[in-house]
Amino acid sequence: MAAMASPFSGALQLTDLDDFIGPSQDCIKPMKVDKRPGGGVAKIHIEDDGSYFQVSQDGGTQKLEKAKISLDDCLACSGCVTSAETVLITQQSHEELRKVLDANKTAAPGQQRLVVVSVSPQSRASLAARFQLTPTDTARKLTAFFKKLGVHYVFDTAFSRNFSLLESQREFVQRFRGQANSTQALPMFTSACPGWICYAEKTHGSFLIPYLSTARSPQQVMGSLVKDFFAQQQHLTPDRIYHVTVMPCYDKKLEASRPDFFSQEHQTRDVDCVVTTGEVFKLLEEEGVSLSQLEPAPLDSLCSSASAQEPTSHRGGGSGGYLEHVFQHAARELFGIHVDEVTYRPLRNKDFQEVTLEKEGRVLLHFATAYGFRNIQNLVQKLKRGRCPYHYVEVMACPAGCLNGGGQLKALGTPSKALLQHVEMLYGMVRTEAPEEVPGVQELYRCWLQGEGSERAGHLLHTSYHAVEKASSGLSIRW
Amino acid sequence: MKDSLVLLGRVPAHPDSRCWFLAWNPAGTLLASCGGDRSVRIWGTEGDSWICKSVLSEGHQRTVRKVAWSPCGNYLASASFDATTCIWKKNQDDFECVTTLEGHENEVKSVAWAPSGNLLATCSRDKSVWVWEVDEEDEYECVSVLNSHTQDVKHVVWHPSQELLASASYDDTVKLYREEEDDWVCCATLEGHESTVWSLAFDPSGQRLASCSDDRTVRIWRQYPPDNEQGVACSGSDPSWKCICTLSGFHSRTIYDVAWCQLTGALATACGDDAIRVFEEDPSSDPQQPTFSLTAHLPQAHSQDVNCVAWNPKEQGLLASCSDDGEVAFWKYQRPEGI
Repeated sequence: MAAMASPFSGALQLTDLDDFIGPSQDCIKPMKVDKRPGGGVAKIHIEDDGSYFQVSQDGGTQKLEKAKISLDDCLACSGCVTSAETVLITQQSHEELRKVLDANKTAAPGQQRLVVVSVSPQSRASLAARFQLTPTDTARKLTAFFKKLGVHYVFDTAFSRNFSLLESQREFVQRFRGQANSTQALPMFTSACPGWICYAEKTHGSFLIPYLSTARSPQQVMGSLVKDFFAQQQHLTPDRIYHVTVMPCYDKKLEASRPDFFSQEHQTRDVDCVVTTGEVFKLLEEEGVSLSQLEPAPLDSLCSSASAQEPTSHRGGGSGGYLEHVFQHAARELFGIHVDEVTYRPLRNKDFQEVTLEKEGRVLLHFATAYGFRNIQNLVQKLKRGRCPYHYVEVMACPAGCLNGGGQLKALGTPSKALLQHVEMLYGMVRTEAPEEVPGVQELYRCWLQGEGSERAGHLLHTSYHAVEKASSGLSIRW
Repeated sequence: MKDSLVLLGRVPAHPDSRCWFLAWNPAGTLLASCGGDRSVRIWGTEGDSWICKSVLSEGHQRTVRKVAWSPCGNYLASASFDATTCIWKKNQDDFECVTTLEGHENEVKSVAWAPSGNLLATCSRDKSVWVWEVDEEDEYECVSVLNSHTQDVKHVVWHPSQELLASASYDDTVKLYREEEDDWVCCATLEGHESTVWSLAFDPSGQRLASCSDDRTVRIWRQYPPDNEQGVACSGSDPSWKCICTLSGFHSRTIYDVAWCQLTGALATACGDDAIRVFEEDPSSDPQQPTFSLTAHLPQAHSQDVNCVAWNPKEQGLLASCSDDGEVAFWKYQRPEGI
């Protein structure tokens, strides 16, 4: 393949995806050979258009079908010659979404799949910037666009993010209080960024894993919400729902394909397909639609008490606001201190900032944000040397965070820095809500999860990590 | 031309192994060598001969590919295939490993110290170039991870006086980097070589850069700042680099190393045909289109590939070389008469 910059985050690029979806020498999938008696030896002839014809001894020709390998086949077996990147990008794409929507058109009613699209606030902000719309208009027009294509419901992952934030808050306080019992309780690192997680699992494995927050990311909480709660509401088994998320980066495709997010019972993934902001833009172009020209549609919501005609968001920056929420909650819960505004102090570069809670000269809480690979490096090295002074770190693989993800729309003409600032401004325009106060959330904890801290909550809102062995086979080395 | 390069002595530096690289300390009194035997050796003179003064053997688990002295001469960095870079502190004849830089995904191919002494660069088969900063307490922190190359990065070298970094890669290009705000960026890509670029060397002024390649040529590149007299176009505030000279037809195999003498301007090359060559710029040539003449050619300088050539920074004409045959050789170069 010609030298092309990888669209995955810097952390994933250096991590070697092939160790997650390992290519090996034998592709076993296309082994289903139709054996016909007396066939003898056939020759294969390649046409000018690239199609393959089998020419049998009697001169008869038969067009050969291309061996098709689905993502599930790849994940199920260990043998595929395609590199992991190619698998992820081609098997999870807007074309796949199209295929499902097209299949729905011709399928019998009982065979149709319910198509749900969950849009991230970061992707929405990027589209808002390109089409010069407000976030609210973008949300409504995107809903209209997807429904025009045949999508049934369009949700906002800011809703599922409430759960990620609440679980993170609770987890931190628990771990802070449990410090005496465990040397690995703190520091706690966020885990919503798959670029960071895959790097941690692969490069530092069992050393780093105990420090990672077990709370699921907003994408994967939405996976639980859609395939468990919503499926039940719709009286469908989870495999009858096709769940697509719209994300600002390609790394989220890897997250969706993790075995931990695959239901063995229902043989379905919590998130079937991740498309990037750029891929949604391609879809719009292919449909010949300009988002600004669409009639806005009312917004969908997962539960009636959460319905609003305007999207809501969270404080604390474009990567979810983990530091800010956990900090304010911990200050209150652990020290009875109410923090109105969180002040960030930049360290060696703007992607590395710290926040402290001090009282009478004592530092009670010491938190940091570490974005971008170089800061992740330094953080991990400090930890390894026992020199990490932080209780909690919000870690993201992309410099400037999720709003600057590899799947976001690129700047046209203007310098990319100006575009990023514009996207940040649009993101910040959305009204914020404290997760504790969002109506539908408490209701779902009660009726869907059977209480905070319940076994169901643990199963549906948390996950686990696994050290990945470096592939030592010579075939996986890219010479 | 054979007489312009005279053998002074040989030492079996890394017996039963390859000797990969050499570095003279800034004072020119010590020579560090490293090799496939996972060790670094420090050589000094005792009378007329070169003897091994220290062996640094506990630092790495695999081949040591490059070594580099800090500008103050008190530290030595070693880059290894075990994916780490060790920093050794010199205490008279002893060296102590004070820190190990980790982070590269696989083999570290080169390490270089910036002239300020505060920055270090490493590069790796993982295609990245890293810039590290060292503070007063000998603590190293990664300042930037640069993913500009599309293949294995073979060599990094700093400009003699500016904080400008150059890298050479299996992707056939040379890239230059500088600091911008709180990060480092690639400010130029030099294309022209038709195969892997193995090594780089700046001339004493830093205005020119020599690169050597698997394509058996040495290329000389010149920096043209914006608003230069020659009318070379620049984009933005970054200088442009142009290839002003190509030395082809002199080497019969891959050129693994090039060294530009900071005292005399002579250019030495280490070649896969086991020979060492020296070139000098013709004094009357046009600075924008210089010509170089071959002033020394020593076939069979070693019994196998020559991996490195290094000019002594203080003693004119003193050249060291090393080879896959595990030996280090010392040479006296004298510019031939009538050139």
